[in-house]
Amino acid sequence: MTGTSMRPPRNRADPRAVAWWTAQWLVLMVPVTAAAGWAYWTLTDRPVWLGVVVAAFGAGCLALAVAAPRASYRVERWEVTDDAVYTRKGWLTHTWQVAPMSRVQRIDTARGPVQRLFGLADVTVTTASSAGAITIAALDHRLAADLAERLTARTQATPGDAT
Amino acid sequence: MASAVKSLALVAPAVIGLVRLFTGAGWPVWGLAVACAAAAVLIVGGVAAYDVARLRSTRWRLTGERLELRTGIAVRRARAIPRDRVRSVDLRADPVLRMLGLTVVKVGTGERAADGDELTLDPLTRGDAETLRRTLLRGAAADEQPGRDAPLAELRWSWIRYAPLTVWTFTGAVTVLGVAYQAAERLGLEDLAERAAGPVWEWVAGHPLPAAALLLAANLVAGALGAVLLFAESWGRYRLDREPGRLRLRRGLLTARSLTLEERRLRGVEVSEPLLLRLGGGARVKAIATGLGTAADGGTEDVGALAPPLPRLLAWGLAGAIAGRDGGEAGLVRHPPAARRRRVVRAAVAVAVPAAVAGVVSWSLPWPSAWAWAVPAVAAPVAWWGAVTGARSLGHALAGRHLITRHGAVVRRTVALERAGISGWTITESFFQRRAGLVTVSAATAAGDGHYEVLDVGRGDGLDLAARAVPGLLEPFLTRPAGEPASGGKGRAA
Repeated sequence: MTGTSMRPPRNRADPRAVAWWTAQWLVLMVPVTAAAGWAYWTLTDRPVWLGVVVAAFGAGCLALAVAAPRASYRVERWEVTDDAVYTRKGWLTHTWQVAPMSRVQRIDTARGPVQRLFGLADVTVTTASSAGAITIAALDHRLAADLAERLTARTQATPGDAT
Repeated sequence: MASAVKSLALVAPAVIGLVRLFTGAGWPVWGLAVACAAAAVLIVGGVAAYDVARLRSTRWRLTGERLELRTGIAVRRARAIPRDRVRSVDLRADPVLRMLGLTVVKVGTGERAADGDELTLDPLTRGDAETLRRTLLRGAAADEQPGRDAPLAELRWSWIRYAPLTVWTFTGAVTVLGVAYQAAERLGLEDLAERAAGPVWEWVAGHPLPAAALLLAANLVAGALGAVLLFAESWGRYRLDREPGRLRLRRGLLTARSLTLEERRLRGVEVSEPLLLRLGGGARVKAIATGLGTAADGGTEDVGALAPPLPRLLAWGLAGAIAGRDGGEAGLVRHPPAARRRRVVRAAVAVAVPAAVAGVVSWSLPWPSAWAWAVPAVAAPVAWWGAVTGARSLGHALAGRHLITRHGAVVRRTVALERAGISGWTITESFFQRRAGLVTVSAATAAGDGHYEVLDVGRGDGLDLAARAVPGLLEPFLTRPAGEPASGGKGRAA
């Protein structure tokens, strides 16, 4: 076996992505924690040990909401060269994706409602394969627009058979 | 005309329905006959009128650049396909159409879209369809008389012995029976069915053991018979030809089917060996091509199938002939022992869980519950077999124009994917894979399944393979230990 491995792509997501992802996690976790607390308070006769469990659960949820985005930020990276788009993501399961410019068919930018508050956007690069779409998540929206434009120009300049 | 004949199929259930309705209402026989005749005339006439209207409003023409089609009775619709986008032409004629010398033509483009995306000309005369097929797929001039060369493959009826080697042999009869019972229920025949089933059921309850054996045997015989008939119908008169620049597949005993594929849209070949077929020494050959619909429109039929179940060696020979001698099985690189260990551990976990459950059950329940141990006892050898076979079937190679990968325990698939058709890589490494030094390398492509994986390959080997398969693409993103030569510069073998 050789020691060959993938090197990390050069660029990170926008730093604001951490805040955005945290907000997303909180949107999910706050109601869960609140529901657990409410159920404990109204539906049980409040034994202490159960209180400790619920508190630990709530604290775990909130800690996850704070920690997960930071972990993602450390792991998620992207890079666009003249010939290819390259991303890495995943914390437990690492995933690297490479798509050659000559096979890129479509470039989309997308901004969700909450994402817009943070001034962020996603860029998705689609090839003819049903499996090869690559998403570069949480870029500054101006950078995303620039990147999409650059990619479009670049793919048009690169000859290739899209199918 | 053809649809008028086919509409007779609609008449039968309508007549049955009417009979049921009016016998209940106490009509005389002649009234019943008149009502049925009226219904039949109404249905046939209606369908024929609709068809005439449909044909009147359908116009197609072939110009220098485009194939144009206008359809629609109420909503007019016009479609045009640029001729250079045509990837496949599919001719199909069911027995009724064949008697009338007609054919339905479907023209497929490279789109990976939903059903109904193909442009359908329904129907054309057989001669017109054939001419259209030739002109659409270009080079009508270069088209020598087809069939003069020896075909790539031709049906031998001895292959029919592979037909019953599918799961359907065991489940098919039961499934058909279930569907038939439901249909009978719809038509209100369930009383009849129950009256017939009652004594049978009593007899079964009386003699459980011989009955079970008999039922199983009957099921098997019926399933095998069905499989053989299905094989005969769909693969009768099978013949695979190589015409200049394309493959032509013809088959079908009753419904004649013909599929023409441009060779430059062919991205590879897959040889698949499902367990039963493998035990019987057979294999299937499928095309990996863009512009082929998914299995949707043929129902159970596999659109990519290039051949019926074949003897193994013939299948490999055919795959080799289509893929240009790259499809061979020899020279596959084995995957590291860690891949095998991973499968064995997985199997052990899969057995340990039911074993733990069985333990809890037999410990906590008062009645003798040794039966609970049957599950892990059966699961253990099966899981072990799966792990070992799965590990043994793993393999990959880089041969000329193709990337070859093989995996699968129950269905072993060997895929030869054209390197020029690879449109990107996805490399994944799960937590456990990372600890074992393995990765899964997945090649994205526009054809077939969309991506083909090299499962659980050693990290260095896998990345090397990907880097060499598509030179230059992965190379800038790799770090190699100092002193090791980069191995990507062999150039694209075209």
